[in-house]
This record gives sequence, structure tokens and C-alpha cells, in this order.
Amino acid sequence: MIKIRDLEKIYRTEEVETVALNKISIDVKEGEFVAIMGPSGCGKSTLLNILGLLDDPDNGSFLFNNIEVAHFNERKRADLRKHNIGFVFQSFNLIDELTVFENVELPLIYTGVKAGDRKKRVEEVLDKMQIMHRRNHYPQQLSGGQQQRVAVARAVVNNPKLILADEPTGNLDSSNGNEVMTLLTDLNEQGTTIIMVTHSEHDARYSHRIIRMLDGQTVLENIMV
Amino acid sequence: MLKNYFKIAFRNLWRHRVFSFINIMGLAVGMTACLLIFLYVRFELSYDSFHTKADRIYRIVTDLKTPTELIPTSGPAWPVAPHAKLDFPEVEAYTRVNPDNVLFRKDDIKFMEEGAIWADSAFFQIFNFRLIRGDVRTALIHPFSVVLSETAAKKYFGKDDAFGKTLLITGGAVPATVTGIMKDMPENSQIKSDVVLSMCTLTAEWAKDLDNQWGNYGPYAYLLLKPGTNAQALQKKFPAFLEKWNGEEMKQIQMYPTVLLEKLKDVYLHSTRGDLGSSKSSGNIKNVYIFSIIAAFILIIACINFINLTTARASERAKEVGIRKVAGAIKGQLARQFIGESVIICLIAFLLTLGLAALLLPAFNELAGKTISKGIFENPGLLLLILATSLVIGLLAGIYPAFILSSFNPIEVLKGRYATSSRGATLRKTLVISQFAISTALIIGTIIVYSQMRYMRNQSLGFNKDQVLVIDTNEDKNREALKQAISRLPNVKAVSLSGSVPGSGYAGAYSEVENIKGDLQITNLDVYFVDFDYIPLYNIKMAAGRPYNREFKTDTTQALILNEAAVRTLGYRSPDQAIGKRFKQWGREGKIVGVIKDFHYKSLQNPIKPLCLRMEWPRMGLISVKVNQAGIKGTIADIEKQFKTSIPNRPFSYYFLDEFFDRQYRSEERFGRLFLNFAALAIFISCLGLLGLASYSTMQRTREIGIRKVMGASVSNIINLLSKEFLKLVIISFFIASPVAWYFMHKWLNDFAYRTQISWWIFAVAGILALLIAIITISVQAFRAAVANPVKSLRTE
Repeated sequence: MIKIRDLEKIYRTEEVETVALNKISIDVKEGEFVAIMGPSGCGKSTLLNILGLLDDPDNGSFLFNNIEVAHFNERKRADLRKHNIGFVFQSFNLIDELTVFENVELPLIYTGVKAGDRKKRVEEVLDKMQIMHRRNHYPQQLSGGQQQRVAVARAVVNNPKLILADEPTGNLDSSNGNEVMTLLTDLNEQGTTIIMVTHSEHDARYSHRIIRMLDGQTVLENIMV
Repeated sequence: MLKNYFKIAFRNLWRHRVFSFINIMGLAVGMTACLLIFLYVRFELSYDSFHTKADRIYRIVTDLKTPTELIPTSGPAWPVAPHAKLDFPEVEAYTRVNPDNVLFRKDDIKFMEEGAIWADSAFFQIFNFRLIRGDVRTALIHPFSVVLSETAAKKYFGKDDAFGKTLLITGGAVPATVTGIMKDMPENSQIKSDVVLSMCTLTAEWAKDLDNQWGNYGPYAYLLLKPGTNAQALQKKFPAFLEKWNGEEMKQIQMYPTVLLEKLKDVYLHSTRGDLGSSKSSGNIKNVYIFSIIAAFILIIACINFINLTTARASERAKEVGIRKVAGAIKGQLARQFIGESVIICLIAFLLTLGLAALLLPAFNELAGKTISKGIFENPGLLLLILATSLVIGLLAGIYPAFILSSFNPIEVLKGRYATSSRGATLRKTLVISQFAISTALIIGTIIVYSQMRYMRNQSLGFNKDQVLVIDTNEDKNREALKQAISRLPNVKAVSLSGSVPGSGYAGAYSEVENIKGDLQITNLDVYFVDFDYIPLYNIKMAAGRPYNREFKTDTTQALILNEAAVRTLGYRSPDQAIGKRFKQWGREGKIVGVIKDFHYKSLQNPIKPLCLRMEWPRMGLISVKVNQAGIKGTIADIEKQFKTSIPNRPFSYYFLDEFFDRQYRSEERFGRLFLNFAALAIFISCLGLLGLASYSTMQRTREIGIRKVMGASVSNIINLLSKEFLKLVIISFFIASPVAWYFMHKWLNDFAYRTQISWWIFAVAGILALLIAIITISVQAFRAAVANPVKSLRTE
């Protein structure tokens, strides 16, 4: 599903050049659950952003479902992203002015799904995430765990092939964290590919494979048994 | 998607109520000011445009060339208009309009109609003053005909039908028939009167020679030209016309008029030749321009303010932008969303504007001194125009913030880091500089307008106008007896009879006075008819010679007093040289007996012109009474009693000379008040913008402030840090505003013959004021940031 080769990302300011990704090459197959680990500043979030088509690589190749996407323009990237990729963030990133229902509905609006279908799909996914009873609440009225569930619901509502999770349990206590990890595992078992950046060895154990990074390069891969 | 946008727009507005209120209010206040100014400008431009034949109506004016000067007059000699009709086939009709104070009586009702006009028979055919009763062709055709406005008809006849009834006019109680009732003349008409009397009453009955007096410059005169007539070509025919009718006399008295035709529609705003007696009937195109510019400025300031406040809040929306982008939104969609929000805000501001304008309109009418509009809801076209303007403002003001917001990098903003480009910061700074430059210029303008007004008020006028009461006797035959009676009253210090008082009208006289070379020089002198007591009562100082004196029997018939300006035009180096010199004026010959020091007999807009004081009893109808301040009410009551005894047929009315004289500055005062109000508004809106920017900047520097505080910075250090940046902008704007304001105000002051200096302190005060206002505005934000707990701000990292 994902095949990147010699990917480079360099951040430049007037005087300093920081190599975030240094000719990195990774493959992720469909249906895989991959965890990316490494110390802060090793480039894992940069990698995730590029994989999520939120950022451009400077060099290298990025094949998404056998299509070269490394130098797609904004419109094409947005198009590919909204149909294929869901995001889960550490800080949930829900829009405070929208209710649970409206937050989850958002990706469907941008993919042009009709209102009737939207309602059905949002309700389905809220049901699945067991957060239906909170559908009319605003994010600030929910606990952290509940907010992250809403975020996961939003990530999956479009039935994406790939979910990118950036430290999804980072802001949660262990019980809520476990719940979220279980959710992700369930989704993966239903066929969704998941790539997760994490600091937590515990969370990483839910994955099939751990890619360890250092200074913008992969240094080790552990296959989980 | 639209529904989602609306939802989020309204929830955002509601969630940040205070901010939204400031933002919407700023825009609404700006738009209201703009709307009111628009109404004012539109009203000023609409003068006389309701006459359907306005494009064919021309006012006749003349430039009168004497051997010493060129005198612009606002009316031609009496015979010009009727003879033009006789000679020129291009002239369809003519009417002269002669303003006058005419006493009207019906039974016990007595009114001095101060704005009465005498008009020729074609008056109602040329102008569109609608008659409800009577025939436009015949209403003024006979002597002793009068057309009343509805208001006047009601005043004299109540509910009864006034048409065909009789009123007694003038002191002689001459019967006049009501031959027409007209709708009240519109507010935007230069000619504004409640009573129109037939001109033939004068020309065919009371002053039969008027139509042949080619040297008598009097009434306003209007020509209605036939369709297709070239007015310029017609104007060129007048020299031959004047030569034909009056050539001999012109040569004899050496006064050569040039006839000019002014388009009726241009008279109100563009003519500088005076008006129909009332201060309301003359406008000034400069004021129209000034207020249009102010309106544009206010609108620009309001838009800048809106842009600044919206971008200030951009960071709060950053996360939303990030999430939307992650969810698949592209830049264009987001830009449309934010422009849409801006349009929504403008529409709310539009509704508020309507409310505010409706609320403020009566006060604004009062401020402007006239009913510029009865209501803003009366004109659907206008409402549509405001709506369209709001939409355009929404679009224009929304583009920049939308561009900023939609450009946010989702990765950055979702991590809580807001990237801001220095280009954006430069633009915002430029906007603040423009706002404050405009505001500072307006502050400078306001101070100059007010100091000019103070200057005019406090300038020594060369006479004493305090505690002088003026009574108009309309030259009643018993006025001398009344004067004597008043002079015997306690608390009356002095009494004088005259034809004019400072600030009122006066005659102009063809005169011949001996000049320095010993020749009789033809010169035009303004004339004040005065008695022996006038000069001492007004405390007018003598420059040479003596005032009129009862001991000199010839003073009433063979003496003349000039002012210094007149003496100068005769070539004398000192006033003494003029004493004893010969003069000829209106059939009188004699000697100059005195020269008075120049005094301001007109407002300070005008230079002091050559003036003579002449004794001529028949033309003196005003009684000036110098009274003691103490017991003034009783004194007025005593005077009224004497008036009613001596002149029982006329209504008693009086005015205080100082108030009367200051009335000449009423339009300046109004101008000043409007200027002040709009300047204050501009500053207020600018401050909202500055507040927005300060809060924006503070938000951006939260982390820096936190670190500085941890490192030991005090609250004042932080306030200083945050304020410095903005004060720099205000100082730059001051240096931009000062020369611009100086240039325009210098031009404005040029209209005044006597004017205040534009001193350095005006700029200093304006600069300090702008700086102070800015400091206060910024400090509010800076203080909040400075006292915040640094741990909190550092945690945002």
C-alpha cells in the first residue's frame, strides 16, 4: 500500500539546516498495523505528516497504492487524503464550536456525501464507538477518553484505507488509553491499515511491526509476534 | 456545507461575544457615520434639482467694474431681466426674486414675515413650487397679490380656506389678496419663503421707476431659457445689450457691469456671490468634498479595523483550519468559508447600521442644521445601496483574513504553533499606520477648525457688541419718538438709530471722493446710515477728525465719515489727510469730517471694505440700545411697553447684537461640530483596530512574555516591551498626518480673510493626544499579558 524510497525532508532557516528525514525507505502492506517509535526529533512526526499527505517531501519517492504522490499539488493531495486517510491526534483536535455529531460529520461534508447518508453513517460510527448518547454534546463537555473516541470516529467515518495515529494515547490515562488502542486494533482487524507514532512501548505492542527511528533514519524493525 | 459554515460562524460569534461585539460595532458605527455623511452630501447635491426645468434656469449676476475695484454682485440692476426677455428670443421667461421683511396683519394676528419675497409673474412657471389653490400663470399677475404656503395660510386663517381672502401688508396696512396657496417650499430649495408677493406691486404701484433704474442693483434675477439655448452664447450678447439700454449712464458714472449667467443647479454649492439672505440657502462645495473624504476615511478605518480584528482572532481559528484541512478541505473552500463569515458579520453590521442611523438621524439633522432626511427607511433604493455596500465591505475586508487563515499549515497549527509571515505583519502595521494617520489628521483638523472659530470670536472687532439690544422699527414714522422714550428709561445707557448694525445688511453707493491727487475719484462705498449717537454707542474709535456732532448743523446734509479702508483706496497715507476733502454721493455734496478706525462690520471671513457712515434719517429703522446688565429683563419689558405705545401696529421683536453677530459663524460652528464628531468616531474605530492588533501581538508573544517573566522581567518591563512596537507606528503616522493636515487646513483657512496661525502646538497636542489614546488602548492588553502567570503561557508550548 505504501512504498517510500530515499525520502528526504530538510527544514531550512537562514542559517540552520535540519535534516528531518534522511533518505528513509519504508514499506507498509495493506492491513498492517505499524508502530513508529524513536526519541523526540527523530523525524517520526514528519514521516507521518508526509504519509498523511499533509506535507511534501524534498526528495525521494512515495507510492500510495502504486501511485506516485510525492509531488501532488494541494488539491490532489486533499482529494486523495479525504477519500483514503483518517487521522487521530494526541490532542484530539476536535472543533470546539461543533457538536460530537458535527465533528464526526466534517470529513463527509468535504467528500460531498449527501445529508441523509451523512446522518446514517455518522450515527453508525458513533454507535460503534459507543458515544451515540453524547452526539449533541460539545467537545469540552466530554472526558479525554470520550474526546479521543470522537476523534477516532471522525477518522473512520469515511471508511479510509489508512489511519494515521500520532500518539493517540499521549493525553489519556491508561484505562482510556487501552480503550483507544482496542478500538484501533478492532479497526485493523476489520482491514484498515494503521500507522501509529508512539513513545509508549505498551501501545507499540498492539502493532504487528515496530519501526524504530533515529536522526531521520530507520535503525531497526521489530516484527511483533 | 453552507449550513455547517453558518453554524460555525454564529457559534463563533456567540462564543467570543465581546470580541464579536467590538468587531461588529466598529463596522456598524463606521457604516452609520458613512451613511449619515452620504445623506448629508446627497442632500447638499440635491439643492434645486427638483425644478423640472432646472437645466434651463440661469441666475443673472454681474461683475461691476468701477475705476478702483471689481465688485461681484449676486443680482443685476432691476431692469436687466425684463429687458432681456424683450430683446432675446432665447429667453422664455424671467423672474426677479427680492427678499424683504414685510409686516402682515389679519385682525389681531401680526407677523413680521422676515423671509418674504417679491417675485415676477412667471415665478411659479419657472420654478416647481406647487400651487394647491390658484393658477401658476395668474397668481402673481396683479399688484397686491400674495401666495401663501400651507403653513402661512394656517397661521393666518387657521382651518378656513385662505384662498381669495385679504391680508393687510406693510405698515401702511395695504390690503392684498391671497391668490394662491402653495405647498411649503422644499428643504433643499435655495428660495425658501412662506409668502410670495407680486413684484408688480412694487414696479407698477409703489416704485414705478424701478424697471428703468439701471444703476440700482437689487433683486436676484432668473432667466428660463428656451430648450437648446446656448447660455454661453447668450451671455456674450449682454455687453451690446447693456450698451444699448444703458451705455450713456455707464460712461457717465464709470461703472461697467458684466453680466454672467450662473446655472441654477450650480448656484447653491459653487457660487460665491452670496445667497438669498438666509444662511441656510448657501452651501459650499468644499464642505461637501471634505465630508465625502471624511466618510471615505471612516469607512477605510472601519474596514482596516475589521481586518485587524479578524486576523487578530485568526490564531484562535487556526486549529479549526488545521482540522478542516486534514479532513479534506482545500484552501479555496476555507477562504470561501471565512469570506462568507466576514459577509455575515457585515450583514449583521448592516442591520445595526439601519437601527443606529434611524436613531441618530434626528440628532444629525440638528447637528447639520437642516432636515437632510426624514427617515432612512423612506427610500428603498438607499437601503439597497447600503446593503450592497455592506456586502462589498464584507468581501473586501474578508479577503485578507481569509487568505491568512486558509494558508495556515495544518501540521503546525495542530501542534499549537501558529506560523505568521512577516509580510502579513508588515501589512498589518501599514494598516495601523494608515488608521492613525487619518485619525491624527482629523484631530489636527478639528483643533484648527476650533481655534479658527475661537479666533473669530475673540478677535477685537473694533467696536463693542456687548449688552446691545437691537429693535427693528421697519422705519416706522414714530421711531424717533420711540428712541427718545427708550433713552429716558433707567438702565439704558445709550440709544442710537441706524440703517445697519454690525453683521446686518447695508447699501452700496456710487460715490465720488477727492483723492490724494485732488481729483474726485469714483468709488463704491458700503453705506451705514447712522445718527449722532451711533459712533459713541458702539465705541467705534476715531482715526482722525471727529464723529457726527449735533452742534454742527451741516452734519446731517453735508458731512461724511469714512473708514480707514476707504481712505487707503483714495491714496492717502494717513487718515488725517482725508479730513476736509470733498465728496459727492446720492445727490449730496460736502466734506469728509472724520475717519473711523476699521471695524469688522462683516464676519471675519470677509476683509474690511471701504465704508462710509452717512446721516440719512429716512433710511434708519434699527434702534440700538446699550443697556446695563443688571435688571435686563425689566429693561426689555420697559422697552416693549414703550414700543407698543409708540408703534402699536407692529409686533415687538428684538435681538442681542453679540448673538446676532455670532450667528454669521453658525455654519462654521456646525462644520466644526460635525468635524469633531466624525473625528472622534474615526479615532474610536481606530482604537478598536489597535486593540485588536495589540491583542493579536500579545497572543503571539505569550511564550516570549512567559520566558521574560521567568527570567525576572517586571510588569512594567513587559508593558513597555509590548507598547513600544505600537507607539512607533503611531509616531510614524503622526509624521505622515502632519504635513497632509497642514496642507488641507491651510487651504481651508484661506477662505477666511482673518485667520488664526497654524501653530506648532496644534500638532504637538494632536500628536500627544493620539499617542495617549494609543497608550491607553494598548496598555489594557499589555497589562493583561504582563500579569498573567508565566507557567500557563509556557505550557502552551
